[in-house]
Amino acid sequence: MLIMKDIAKVYRTDTVETHALRQFSLTVGEGEFVSVTGPSGSGKTTFLNIAGLLEEYSSGTYELDGKDVSGLNDSERSRLRNEKIGFIFQSFNLIPELDVFDNVDVPLRYRGFDSAERKRRIDRVLDVVGLGSRPKHLPSQLSGGQQQRVAIARALAGEPRFLLADEPTGNLDSNMAESVMDLLTEINDQGTTIIMVTHEPSLAERAQRNIHVRDGQVYHGDPEIRLAAQTA
Amino acid sequence: MELGPIWRALMRNKASYVLIALQIAVTMAIMVNAVGIIQERSQQMARPSGVDEENIFYLSSNIFDPDADFEAQIEADLDAIRSFPGVHNAVMSNTVPLQGGGWSEGITLEPDPDLDSTGVAIYFSDEHGIDTFGVNLIAGRNFSANEVNWHDYESDAWPPIAIVTRAMAEELFPDLSVDQTLGKTVYIHDTKPVTIIGITERMQAAWNSWSGVERSMLVPVKRGGAYARYVIRAEPGYRDEIMPQIEEMLASMTDNRIIRGMETMQQTRQESYLLDSSMVKLLLFIVTVLTAITGLGIAGLASFSVARRTKQIGTRRALGATRPAILRHFMLENFVITSVGVAGGAILAVAINMWMVNAFGLQRMAWYLVPVAMAALWLVGQVAVYGPARRATMVSPALATRSV
Amino acid sequence: MFRYYLKLGLFSIRKNPVLSSLMVAAIAVGIGAFMTIINIDYVMSGNPIPHRSDVLYHVQVDSWSPNDAYEDPDLPPEQVTYLDGVALWSAGEARRQVLSYKTTRVVQPQAQGERPFSVQSRSTTADFFAMFDTPFLFGGGWDKAADDGEEYVVVINKEINERVFGGDNPVGESLVMNGKGYRVTGVMDTWEPMPKFYDINNGPFEAVEEVFFPFSVSIANELSSSGNTSCWKAAEGGWDGRLASECIWLQLWVELHGESERQDYLAFLDAYAESQKALGRFPRPLNNRLNNVMEWMDDREVVAKDVNVLLGIAFMFLIVCLLNTIGLLLAKVARRAGDISLRRALGASRRAVFSQYIVEAGIIGLCGGLLGVGMTWLGLQGIKGLYGDLDFIARLVTMDWPIIFAAIVLAIGAALAAALYPTWRACGVHPASQLKAL
Repeated sequence: MLIMKDIAKVYRTDTVETHALRQFSLTVGEGEFVSVTGPSGSGKTTFLNIAGLLEEYSSGTYELDGKDVSGLNDSERSRLRNEKIGFIFQSFNLIPELDVFDNVDVPLRYRGFDSAERKRRIDRVLDVVGLGSRPKHLPSQLSGGQQQRVAIARALAGEPRFLLADEPTGNLDSNMAESVMDLLTEINDQGTTIIMVTHEPSLAERAQRNIHVRDGQVYHGDPEIRLAAQTA
Repeated sequence: MELGPIWRALMRNKASYVLIALQIAVTMAIMVNAVGIIQERSQQMARPSGVDEENIFYLSSNIFDPDADFEAQIEADLDAIRSFPGVHNAVMSNTVPLQGGGWSEGITLEPDPDLDSTGVAIYFSDEHGIDTFGVNLIAGRNFSANEVNWHDYESDAWPPIAIVTRAMAEELFPDLSVDQTLGKTVYIHDTKPVTIIGITERMQAAWNSWSGVERSMLVPVKRGGAYARYVIRAEPGYRDEIMPQIEEMLASMTDNRIIRGMETMQQTRQESYLLDSSMVKLLLFIVTVLTAITGLGIAGLASFSVARRTKQIGTRRALGATRPAILRHFMLENFVITSVGVAGGAILAVAINMWMVNAFGLQRMAWYLVPVAMAALWLVGQVAVYGPARRATMVSPALATRSV
Repeated sequence: MFRYYLKLGLFSIRKNPVLSSLMVAAIAVGIGAFMTIINIDYVMSGNPIPHRSDVLYHVQVDSWSPNDAYEDPDLPPEQVTYLDGVALWSAGEARRQVLSYKTTRVVQPQAQGERPFSVQSRSTTADFFAMFDTPFLFGGGWDKAADDGEEYVVVINKEINERVFGGDNPVGESLVMNGKGYRVTGVMDTWEPMPKFYDINNGPFEAVEEVFFPFSVSIANELSSSGNTSCWKAAEGGWDGRLASECIWLQLWVELHGESERQDYLAFLDAYAESQKALGRFPRPLNNRLNNVMEWMDDREVVAKDVNVLLGIAFMFLIVCLLNTIGLLLAKVARRAGDISLRRALGASRRAVFSQYIVEAGIIGLCGGLLGVGMTWLGLQGIKGLYGDLDFIARLVTMDWPIIFAAIVLAIGAALAAALYPTWRACGVHPASQLKAL
């Protein structure tokens, strides 16, 4: 469903050229739960941005749901993000002035659904994440775990092709992290593809498959060494 | 669009938006009232005086020899002026419209001292008056030369005929048409009859703020004495040239008098309305500066608001908002704030206007100024927010994944 | 601690130059506009003769028409008739009394080649100079004997003295006006009461007259007033008719010290009015007025309506500028949340944060005030440009120290008031809450 071939991303300043990704190739199939790990600076955030169409790549090909995304303009990319990708951020990124209902509503508004359709979807996903009883709460009135659930609901509301999660439990304590991971596993069991970027090996193991990124490339080395290098 | 969430979000973070709304409200109140006053004054100033303002000038002759033959001097002066090249006509009169100083009398319909009288401004004149002032005779006739008499300053006689303005005729005889008032007799000084032989379209009195400014009366009297004011109408284009020449000529005719107070009708109008025209300019300046300050204030606060919310903007973009959608969001948000502001402003404007009408006797403002001001402020708000809103659209969606 | 806050305040202002200068500018513009109008109002409504304003009284008796009041709602005429003026003045019931009116004369300099010129003159009885404490360069006024004897004496002003007598002491010299010689008794120094309270009806902001000569002389020469004359009943013909008429054209002022003298004089006026009623005059009910200088100016509403309107508008303008300032301060506080949070974490109390920001606001206010004084000056110059043709404008647009001081105090006060809400918000920032974002 998601096919990246030899993706390269180069950042150029006046003095320095940084290769964040080089010859990065990855294929994710329908319904998979893939974790992407790597030390900081390895390029996994860049991968995330490119996969999420948040940034453009310098060379290579990226096919999303059978469609080559090169040459798309900003509006087309925005629409693609809106329809096909569900984001889950490390710091939840909820809008503090909006209540739970309105927060989940944000991407649906950009989709152009009418108000009945939006309400139907929001009620459904809030139930899925177990927050159906708190539509009027403000983010400041929720715990970290609850906030992340709202974010997950927001990601699911548009029925995306895959969820793109960036350190989804990074800002949560171990209990909440557990319950969020359980939720993600459940969502994946229902058939939603999930790509999760994380630096926690224990979380990475909850996924079906792991991609390890090192120096901007997929690392095909020994898993043991990989593990050791990671925790060092 | 997203009116609901925008409104709810504003309600939760009232402080800075209330400030903008308040600013807009007060600005609107000032704007509406200032423009109301500007309108009122401009209308006042636009009123024509009825005389040929472009070509008329006047001056005073002050004879200080108490034994001089005043009448002969005045006759000689008028002859000399009328035959001067470039002069169309001239007349001796007590004042001109808008001069600020003049003569008024009370006119009654019956010779009864107990009746309320109607105030009228008096212009002493002769058969040259109508042509000199350039007023439009719409009914009846002018004075003939033998109907004009000399009075000295002590005299309390009044001529039996007069030419009044249309407004005077209508005030005296509201039920008659203008032509029907010709030949009617009214009374001055309670018992002295005056017959209306002519009606002019318009000839304003000397006091521009008098409620009866349109009521004046030409009477066929030449007042003989030490002070004489000559009103002179030049041929088109000659006025400036002949003014000093006439002054010089009159001064050199005899030694026992001084010529002073020479002014054009245009200068007189300017002086007459100086307070009003200055007020208009001042208010225009204030409204302009005020709009600029409010606009800059909105732009500044919007700019700050955008800078504070870059992460939110990035997140929205990540969630699928296009650049135009972000622009619309901020423009709409500003529109909502401005709407609250102008709603409050409308109420404030009307309240202040009512207070000013009571406290200072100003005119009530025209109702349409309120919606016009609302539209203007909506426009100012949208223009002011456009820059910051455009900057908001350039926020990269990748900001959403940045950890700080 | 205050010095520390001062230091912090200055540092913060330097660190945010754009925001700080915008705030200073907003305050300055608002103060400038407001104080410009305040200045005009202050000068217009100022006391023109503070050391005597409560012993000088303007006299009014109601000699007007039975059908209408002179002025709504029921005001007596602003001037008095010849009959009443002379009767009341000769009665001498007050400590001093002065009867006068405005007229014009033509001065005929005797020097070769000098052309005659007209002058604004005042015909007055002798007490004018003592009552109104007019300053003299040379000599003085004349005495009662000159009044009674219809002597041709004159007081001239400094400019006339320069023009006709070359600026030397002219006392005793003769000034020829309209063919008659007047003996100069004194030269009046510059006297510019603002407004010209003693004759408000005929131009409250006009310049003081250029020459003064006795009332009796003026009447003997049958000189009519160059001010306003109003009659509710037609006068009989001739000068005598004018003098005997109900036309009002004279100003009568009396000097009374203390409340009892004032009451006595009011009683005298009432008795006079009754006596006139017995003679068939004064058809209206008793309506005598005795207003001192400030009361009279108030009654005549000397401060132009336009000034009051502008005052209201300028005040609202100031409000807008202040709202702007509050917004800018809020932005500044939000931007500085990290700094505040750090200080709180390091032990600053809420009060300390409050004080720090209030002091900073005070500095901004002071700068705004100083700049505002400059703006006020600019504003007054602008007013002068607009209304320049009016004689008295120069007086209206001079700023004196009380105004400058008031501008600065108002600016600081306004800045502090504007800072209250943002500073209160600043205190609410939790310690260390913003530290992560630093």
